[in-house]
Amino acid sequence: MDTALRIASVLLPLLYLLVTVGYGFLFFAKRPAARKVAPPLFYATLALHLLYLVALAVRWHQFPMASVSQTLSAVAFAVALVYAFVEWHGREASTGFLMLLVASFLETLSALLRTPSPPDREIFHNPLFATHTGFALLHSTAFMVAATYGFLFLRLYHEIKRRRFSVFFGQLPPLEVLERMTSGALLVGFAALTGTMIAGAVWAKQEFEEPWLRDPKILMTFGIWLFYGVVLLLLRLRRLQGRQLALAALAGVVAILFSLLGVNLFLTEVHGFL
Amino acid sequence: MASLPITPAQRTLTSSALKLIGVGVDHRTAPIELRERVAYNPGQAEEMLSRLVATSEIAEACLLSTCNRTELYLKPHNEAAAYRTGLELVFLSRAPEIEEEGRFFVKRDLVAARHLLEVASGLQSMVLGEPEILGQVRQATGLAETVGASGTVLRKLLRTAVATGGRVRHETAIGSGAVSFGYAVVDLARNIFQHLDKCSVLILGAGETARQVARSLIERGAGELLVANRSPERAAAFLEVFPETHVVPFDERLEVLPRCDIVVASTGSSEPVLRAADVAAAMDRRKTRPLLLADLGVPRNVEAGAGEIGNVFLQDIDSLEDLISRNLKRRRQEVPRVQEILDYELAVFNEWHRGLAAEPVVALLQKRAEKIRRRELEAVRERLPAEVHDEVDRLTRSLVRKILHHPSHQLRRGNPLDAGKIGLVRALFQLDEDDEE
Repeated sequence: MDTALRIASVLLPLLYLLVTVGYGFLFFAKRPAARKVAPPLFYATLALHLLYLVALAVRWHQFPMASVSQTLSAVAFAVALVYAFVEWHGREASTGFLMLLVASFLETLSALLRTPSPPDREIFHNPLFATHTGFALLHSTAFMVAATYGFLFLRLYHEIKRRRFSVFFGQLPPLEVLERMTSGALLVGFAALTGTMIAGAVWAKQEFEEPWLRDPKILMTFGIWLFYGVVLLLLRLRRLQGRQLALAALAGVVAILFSLLGVNLFLTEVHGFL
Repeated sequence: MASLPITPAQRTLTSSALKLIGVGVDHRTAPIELRERVAYNPGQAEEMLSRLVATSEIAEACLLSTCNRTELYLKPHNEAAAYRTGLELVFLSRAPEIEEEGRFFVKRDLVAARHLLEVASGLQSMVLGEPEILGQVRQATGLAETVGASGTVLRKLLRTAVATGGRVRHETAIGSGAVSFGYAVVDLARNIFQHLDKCSVLILGAGETARQVARSLIERGAGELLVANRSPERAAAFLEVFPETHVVPFDERLEVLPRCDIVVASTGSSEPVLRAADVAAAMDRRKTRPLLLADLGVPRNVEAGAGEIGNVFLQDIDSLEDLISRNLKRRRQEVPRVQEILDYELAVFNEWHRGLAAEPVVALLQKRAEKIRRRELEAVRERLPAEVHDEVDRLTRSLVRKILHHPSHQLRRGNPLDAGKIGLVRALFQLDEDDEE
């Protein structure tokens, strides 16, 4: 199994690179042939990546985020997974280059930092905690992706609105598609955030005797969940325009970054184990 | 009588064996009044081609006629006479002043061939990289072939031009981005909406600009098209040109506004025909769906305040012109890449043409070798068992083919002007005797 894992760790960055080049042809040269080749190759790479992470978990009996290399690979997978959903939801493949470039970079870095055996971290043996962490990684990535598409939306929106056309004009998908991709990423993020909170709550109930509901981190996370929930509800009711959705996606990410960095570092002890 | 002119700049490219004459009138050499007099519709072009190739001095001919150019390409039997005949029949018979005022161009040999490739690629077009010309070259190619006016050389050149035009558009951005108001509106719409075919369009006005935009939108598959004009007569005339549109009374324009995704305003009104409040009211009913407003009127037809409303993208004539000049600049940057492709395709064509000059010698060489093979085979046939006859036949054929492959290839690739090499081959293999036989 170790040999297979070693081969996969080398193969994955190469595959991601190949997929990125394919999506690059789609983005820059608008080659129809790339549309036929790049997405299937991407889905195959994603499937292989999933197998690789499962194999890592089976091999080391812990959630595959125990080392820096494993964490980078898991983040790369999350980026690719969220993008796969967004591509399907938006029915548009031309922006894959931007997302898969990130996944490629992370996976290459993961391969370079790979060690023969990761440290044994007891907390990652717990399936509930593993679920909580997996969902947390997924929701953070999804909200980041949503913010990226939101940013692209705002960029194109203001270019057309202000009648100042830069090199981006004509390169990006239409506003309608960018809006749908933003909402797709938000949907994944919201579902994953819900999963994070449920798994975290069940696990924390088992682990901690002290009351933890008043912890600033938990309150902040609940606030973020509520915010995204309202955004998605308004979107569903067609009460939110594309620009407002994009701004909400960016605001949400600022809140998440604050929750991850600010609250974690200065205001809470619940997530101190991280 | 004027002789076939040649400029010093053309001399370097005219030393090839290709004999070709290109005579033409285009937007650079002649005004529209002259160009329209020498324009040929397909029927007229067909008749003219038949007349041209019926003359003794012209071997092959092709006539390309569009609104911006009429060009005649000739493969001559006699260069000076073919040039004169072509010029007189195609151009001077309709507009004699073309020659007096020097309002035409003449190109020869590879310069003419390159010019045709440039035309097909859109480099010679009034609007750089415009796409229609490739279809027109393709049409001229088909016509010349149908009439039987294009032979081996011109047919190959025309097909090369069509293929090169396609390659240039596929591999470079020479045709990218809108360079007309119509396509600029389409371009903007495509940056907002995913499916143009699901967009409803309202056109206010029925003048030339409105028609241009309507044509572009229809060509690119826009959905429902509504037209509203103050004068019902002009709206009816618009409907005749574009039967797929629906006429809306001008006073009812605000009622249909909420269901329209793209509004093109191009009326001669001195007052805005769409006020910001009208647009705001329509947007309330549209909920989250964006609206593209293209105001092509001077004075402006849409109140400027409409552009401040969320999800409303108001473009005026200045912004569309900015977009067009930006795209033209990008197209101009692609010209060196296009030239590289033309250099390559012209070199390939030239090599093919050089090979053509060696073809009779290659054919004679093969004929000579086959004759020897048969004679020798015949001499030994009776001494060989019958069951090996076929095998020996196959073997000797294969030997001859393999021995002649390299010399034939070299002859085809060689310089056709190098008569010494061809003469040597003729003498070495006694090809002249075979030729006489």
